[in-house]
Amino acid sequence: MAVQTPDRVVPDTVAILADTNPPRRRPSRRRISWGAYIGLAPLAIMLGVFCYYPAASGIFHSFWNWNPGGESTFIGFDNYATMMTDQLWWESFKNLGIIFVFGVVSWVIPLAAAELLISLRSERAQFVYRTLLIVPMAFPGVVTALIWSFLYQPNDGVINTFLSSVGLDALAQNWLGDPHLALLSLLFIGFPFIAGLPFLMFYSTLQNIPKEIFEACSLDGVNRMQRLFLIDLPLMGRQVQLLLVLVIIETLQYGFVAYILTNGGPDNATTVPVLRMLNEAFSGGNWGYAAALSTTLFVLTVVFSTIVAVAKRRDSTTNVKGM
Amino acid sequence: MSAATIEAPTRAPRVRKHRRSGAAIHIALIAIVAVGLLPYLFVLTTSVKTNEQFATSYWAPSFPLHFENYTTAWNQIAPFMAVSIVVAVISIVGIVALSLLSGFVFARFQFPGRRFFFTMVIALLMVPGIASLIPLFVMMRDLDLLNTLWVLIIPRVAGGAILGTILMKTFIEGIPQELFDAARVDGAGTGRLFRSIMLPLSLPVVGTVSLLTVIGVWNDFFWPLLTVTDNALKPVSVGLLFFRGQAGTDYGAMFAGYMIASLPLLLLFLFLSKYFLAGIQGGLPGSH
Repeated sequence: MAVQTPDRVVPDTVAILADTNPPRRRPSRRRISWGAYIGLAPLAIMLGVFCYYPAASGIFHSFWNWNPGGESTFIGFDNYATMMTDQLWWESFKNLGIIFVFGVVSWVIPLAAAELLISLRSERAQFVYRTLLIVPMAFPGVVTALIWSFLYQPNDGVINTFLSSVGLDALAQNWLGDPHLALLSLLFIGFPFIAGLPFLMFYSTLQNIPKEIFEACSLDGVNRMQRLFLIDLPLMGRQVQLLLVLVIIETLQYGFVAYILTNGGPDNATTVPVLRMLNEAFSGGNWGYAAALSTTLFVLTVVFSTIVAVAKRRDSTTNVKGM
Repeated sequence: MSAATIEAPTRAPRVRKHRRSGAAIHIALIAIVAVGLLPYLFVLTTSVKTNEQFATSYWAPSFPLHFENYTTAWNQIAPFMAVSIVVAVISIVGIVALSLLSGFVFARFQFPGRRFFFTMVIALLMVPGIASLIPLFVMMRDLDLLNTLWVLIIPRVAGGAILGTILMKTFIEGIPQELFDAARVDGAGTGRLFRSIMLPLSLPVVGTVSLLTVIGVWNDFFWPLLTVTDNALKPVSVGLLFFRGQAGTDYGAMFAGYMIASLPLLLLFLFLSKYFLAGIQGGLPGSH
């Protein structure tokens, strides 16, 4: 990790104080050292027992026919071999791919909103609009999912009622019940996708671009579109890179919205790895296989997180608070 | 480029053009805000309708407003809210105590293995909650903690203490050493340093960590869904699903329930939006 700890302070002051007051400092320094371990003990126990042990246990048991509370047998890589031929598992990754691509493409809207917002000259107006744009973030995710599940309802739902009230009954659909539409319907939850990290990052990057650059542009007659492509986007490169990886990690954990709205159905059209894993464990009782699936998700996440860490170390200008 | 430099001296038309584009920007922004907020506004207006009002005027608000929907919903939602609040409060106390202490130790003491221990803490940021869910569930079952409040609290404290420790350490390192030195010269011991300097100064981080915990408790879904089947112990995120089933087609009460469940986070957002945003931006995996 790229953690720079300022080691400077403590030894210096101890040395200075030791000069002026030798009998008291020296023993207390040694005592502090032991006290540090005692101070860390609660955290170490907590993290060891409830974070490190489960993670290790999951990896360990992925090589077993895990039967919690009963006999477990060691089966080597069998679970992983099953995974390689698990059609549904790979299909769920195909859905993840669609979710990811859609997520990235949908950044166009937050980007456009951030550009519009930064073009306002009144700081006050910017603040008001920004606040209104991100209010949906304050709603619990479950509430947003439940509200959208109502919007999609075939009979009383907002979307179908709206379509029939403007005379477009033909377009009304069983949004979540149709295997061809279900995934797309899930993806549109939260439209226009502004209340989220991408918008906040785009906006704060634009805010951090020195005003002089924009002034120089307008003097040179660069119009708004040209500025977007020549200045704003290149300056956002780093943020976009970081966002990409964050979205990959987030996508790997995607699941609760699908659980609430479709539970992976209809006809497995919206199944995702997390749901597949939970199903194997809690409905199928295949704990060892579920452990293998979760280990796979874990490894993928670590790989992508490492990419973030490396990308961040190379870059100190990112405005998401670094360590 | 040259065309624009020639054009520049004629000021009047430029100003007018600015104003027109300014209006266009406002219209576009208002449109986006409206699309984003409409679902929530729809829920808000429907939450004060009876089913008859909902059937006759689907879109428009209709009078009289039936606030008794909120009473109905509150009676069903309140137990879930109480569980969430209890879990959040106990978790916050645990997380703040753990991470203040460890952050203080990491930031202000020299001891062999300090780097190693801290790296071990940071490494956990990379472990997604969903990946250890299954082994953690088995562990909790072996400990006979399923269907208790502790199954909701303990993993949250452990998870929250990771980010908490990192935030605290970073913050405490920023407190000028002179303050600690001055206190030491005045005869303060380590405990006194912790109580009289550290605690009061680190209140902003304590606030951020608390806020993150509340947001986490309100949004956590799979863990309580799987570990708590007793309705009396369900937190609000999972309780809402049960509530939806109970409300059936009484949309007014159902939506009133959604609004009540959202209120705590909305209030926090309203009054602490700076911390709220810092929490969201800082709370993502990999962003530290």
